[in-house]
Amino acid sequence: MNALRSEERRPKLVLSDVCKSFGGVTAAQEICLEIYGGEVLGLIGPNGAGKTTLINLITGVYRASRGEMIFKGQSITRQPTYRRAKAGIGRTFQHPHLLDRCDVLTNIIMGSDMAARKRTGAKPELERELPEILACAGLEHIRLHDPVSKLSYGQQKLLEVVRVLLSHPDILLLDEPAAGLNNRETQYVADLIRYAVQRDIGVLLIEHSMELVMSICDRITVLNFGHQIATGTPAEIQNNEEVIRAYLGGGSDDAED
Amino acid sequence: MLQKKRIHPLPAAGAAVFALALAAAPGFASVYTVHVLSVAMISYLCVLSVYVLLGLCGQNSFAQAGLWGVGAYLAGNVLLKTPGGSAAAFLAAVGGTALVAFLLGFAFFRLRQYYFTFASIGLMTILNGIFMNWEAFSGGAVGMKGIPAFSLFGWTASTEQSKFYVIFAVCLAATALILLLFRSALGRSFMAIRDNEMTADSMGINSLLTKSIAFAISGALCGAAGALYASLSGYLSYQSFTYNQSTIYLIMIMIGGTMSPVGAIIGTCVITLLQEGFRSLQDYMQLIYGLGVIILMIFQPEGILGGGRALYERLAKRREKTEAGSV
Repeated sequence: MNALRSEERRPKLVLSDVCKSFGGVTAAQEICLEIYGGEVLGLIGPNGAGKTTLINLITGVYRASRGEMIFKGQSITRQPTYRRAKAGIGRTFQHPHLLDRCDVLTNIIMGSDMAARKRTGAKPELERELPEILACAGLEHIRLHDPVSKLSYGQQKLLEVVRVLLSHPDILLLDEPAAGLNNRETQYVADLIRYAVQRDIGVLLIEHSMELVMSICDRITVLNFGHQIATGTPAEIQNNEEVIRAYLGGGSDDAED
Repeated sequence: MLQKKRIHPLPAAGAAVFALALAAAPGFASVYTVHVLSVAMISYLCVLSVYVLLGLCGQNSFAQAGLWGVGAYLAGNVLLKTPGGSAAAFLAAVGGTALVAFLLGFAFFRLRQYYFTFASIGLMTILNGIFMNWEAFSGGAVGMKGIPAFSLFGWTASTEQSKFYVIFAVCLAATALILLLFRSALGRSFMAIRDNEMTADSMGINSLLTKSIAFAISGALCGAAGALYASLSGYLSYQSFTYNQSTIYLIMIMIGGTMSPVGAIIGTCVITLLQEGFRSLQDYMQLIYGLGVIILMIFQPEGILGGGRALYERLAKRREKTEAGSV
């Protein structure tokens, strides 16, 4: 991808020494990450490695036991979830969290509502943006007044990405966006990620599909039992001994958790 | 792309006919019937308040009759103890009850899910206790007597018919406002909380504040209903504002359907008709409500409106099919 990262560019999100433990179980151990605008950072690791926990720490669903998170120059470590979201941290869920008693359009408008809620002055232009994003997601033909329950699982997951993109996030945390999707739908996920990157959104991508991760990520971080065992370019990660031992070369195909 | 939602001709026409028929009722109905309709419309406002809180925002409260009472006593106090008149009483009831509800919501919505419902039961009991015992505010067990009828700019609603039209106008305005709310960003944030609070959080919605606003709006509706009731009946007793009454509002919306103000209208009509039509069975009314709700929840959890919609959609589909077949 067009990795625009240069020395003078400031990261949008910095995690330093972030820790989280549940009882005796360490879910995140001294995690240090930077996410820049316009790059895709892959987050991979075996099931239970703490990938989703990390997203929940960044969004504030969990509070970090230790460490510091700086977003756009300000500490968000102690902020509640909704405030971090309003500041520009967008996310999707492993299983789509749509408003299931509302129609497709209401779900979509919810995204631009959020853009309006940020009061950045930039007016959301739903009429202009929506056709473009829906086309990226391959959803240009869905009926906007149908209940969301009529959409397929894949369409629901794609719609969730559409919704969060309409909220104009600064960084976007995608939790296994391609899990359970067919090949064509996975291609749409890649298109949506490219759409985000073109708009200088920093993307954190959790994904088990190595094909997608290796092709789209600028950098990759590998987690294992809450430990960050490596960070580097896709080529570096593929040749990293420890990563191969812990995850890539394990031979066992990971089932979705 | 963002085409407006198609307005279904049949339900829209039905709503218009219903509103016109109701507006025309005082022309031919007896004074007693007009009074019953006025009381029913006041109930409708409270049921609408349940729609906002439960139907839109997914929060269940047993304190709505208490808020109704707050509005009624606030209006009564303004009318009896100040020279403010009906407009001031109405505004005080709407604003005051909304404020009370907002503050209570802000305190109680720290409790999630059904814990708020439990808290609302306690709240209802406390409010009823206040109405019964705070003599300076409510007249205590004796109640509040001699509340004057509505008057505005020298005109007084002295007859049952003119009172009916005052209440009818407030109901129309409230319904229009709630329909606007439904289509607004605020309304959508209520629905986000109703459907998935975690999503709402991730969409930047402050759920504590938003739920408190929903409770405040439902309080404003109850306050309006209270002000209208104070002037309609001229007498307030703590025995009107009970836990039982709150339950009846909930039953009304459940029978009608929680997904639209139309459900509130249907529910209010059905229960009022039952109450009036089976006066002789009054002792069994609670039993009939209870059984009715249980049966409905089993066979049609979306209420009568939900059943009607499903039927309408099925018919529309069949029509489409036959039309396609005939081409």
